[in-house]
Amino acid sequence: MLGITEYWCSRPITARYGSLEEIRAGNDAVLAAMRRYPQRIRGLCFVVPGYYREACAEIERCLDAGMIGVKLYHQYKINDPAVWPVIELCTQRRVPILVHAGYVTDPRTKAEQPRLSHGADFAEVSQRFPETMFIMAHIGGGGDWEWTLRALRDSSPNVYVDVSGSNLDDGQVEFAVAELGAQRVLFGTDGTMAGCVGKVIGASLTEEQRHLIFWGNAERLLAAQGKQPLAKIESGQEGVAG
Amino acid sequence: MIFDINAWVGSWPFRSLRDSTPQQLTERLRKAGVAGAAVSQIEAILHRNAQPANERLAESVEPYRDVFVPMATINPTYARWEDDLRICHEELGMKGVRLFPEYHGYEIDGPLAKRVVAACRERGLPVQIPHRIEDMRQRHHLDPARGVPLAAIAGLVAAYPDTPIIVTNARGIAQSPLWRRTELRDAAWYADTSLAEVYFQGLDKDLALIVEESGGRHLLFGTHAPFSYPEAALVKRATLPADADTLEEISYRGAMRLGLTPESWAVKAGSA
Repeated sequence: MLGITEYWCSRPITARYGSLEEIRAGNDAVLAAMRRYPQRIRGLCFVVPGYYREACAEIERCLDAGMIGVKLYHQYKINDPAVWPVIELCTQRRVPILVHAGYVTDPRTKAEQPRLSHGADFAEVSQRFPETMFIMAHIGGGGDWEWTLRALRDSSPNVYVDVSGSNLDDGQVEFAVAELGAQRVLFGTDGTMAGCVGKVIGASLTEEQRHLIFWGNAERLLAAQGKQPLAKIESGQEGVAG
Repeated sequence: MIFDINAWVGSWPFRSLRDSTPQQLTERLRKAGVAGAAVSQIEAILHRNAQPANERLAESVEPYRDVFVPMATINPTYARWEDDLRICHEELGMKGVRLFPEYHGYEIDGPLAKRVVAACRERGLPVQIPHRIEDMRQRHHLDPARGVPLAAIAGLVAAYPDTPIIVTNARGIAQSPLWRRTELRDAAWYADTSLAEVYFQGLDKDLALIVEESGGRHLLFGTHAPFSYPEAALVKRATLPADADTLEEISYRGAMRLGLTPESWAVKAGSA
């Protein structure tokens, strides 16, 4: 109904570390969804980087089974050295790392997510790993989007953001494009399906910029690992959701 | 025809807003396909004495009375708020009231709010309660708001079931006491399309459930412009599980019945 042709999905553990068994079970559920909806769903492998060898082995397992990237939550900040082995592996496999992120200003939310990564963290880590494709998730779901986008000014050109999240603030998408360029802004929903389609439709953008956000940039990320969109995307049809 | 029951003019102290003058907002909404809107003055949310902002609103939207319907901001903690309500209604032509308990410092189900609702009931004015203005996760340290509890609003609705109470900018309506307290299904409460999703988290029905089970009875079209992209609400409207008649009810007829649309619209509808 919304015209979304492809979903990049993960099943992260969001409020604690989780056991290896739980992590694998979540990824197995995503693999099962990929098998059930092969023309619709692609998977991102969730890991907790502190498991080190086991985390890297899980990434290899999931990528070999057809997943197209890695998902990290807030167990570690993205610039924590504990994450480096995961980053190195993703760089080697040429797959993106989508990271739950935000610059939250509310004390309660900050206390709940003390290791939430924000723009300055991505800028720092991307200078150490300039070839790695990082996706700073949900500018509409991570607090002060202006702060975290401004903080990306010194990041590598391989740091992307996605527009997902329940915050539908007017000007959000245009601000991301002004700060980073449209080629670094991806479409996503994070569960806010119609609202996120609406904010990209409503943003003051050229049609070329809108196409890049809806599918062109995601297509480029897939191409880096030799893959193509699951369905052929026609002009005027909305594209890929992260 | 689409009427937005949830729009604003003016300045917000914590973020620059685009298209926030009556002229700019008219153009923005028309470009999106929205023909009119109920508006209030943003500054009144944080002013102790809200009445000068109400007066400024009435003056600024006067040239746009076929587009905008002004809504009074009432602060029931302030001396002689009853005078403000009377002037806004009788002299400034305002068609409803907006309440901001978190900013003006009272409980939404407490005695002060109930006095306002009772006064609005006498005057036949609907009451709007924005659940939030901004997302709490990005709140400025001077912004006190955490979201008006929907359970408390449900308590207010239970106390005044015949008075139209419109809860704007809320999410998860179908999971809230407004919907789950089934004894309130016949009460005159409404949610809007601004921040709620048709499907909560993309999976569970939210606005979809309300429309499937109550048609357009509890839902009105609202955008929260210029804080939010109006097109977000339009995409939700387009994807509601509603037939043409229900969609008209949500899009403008419900607002018209509550007296929230411009008077010229009633004339048009009457002659049609």
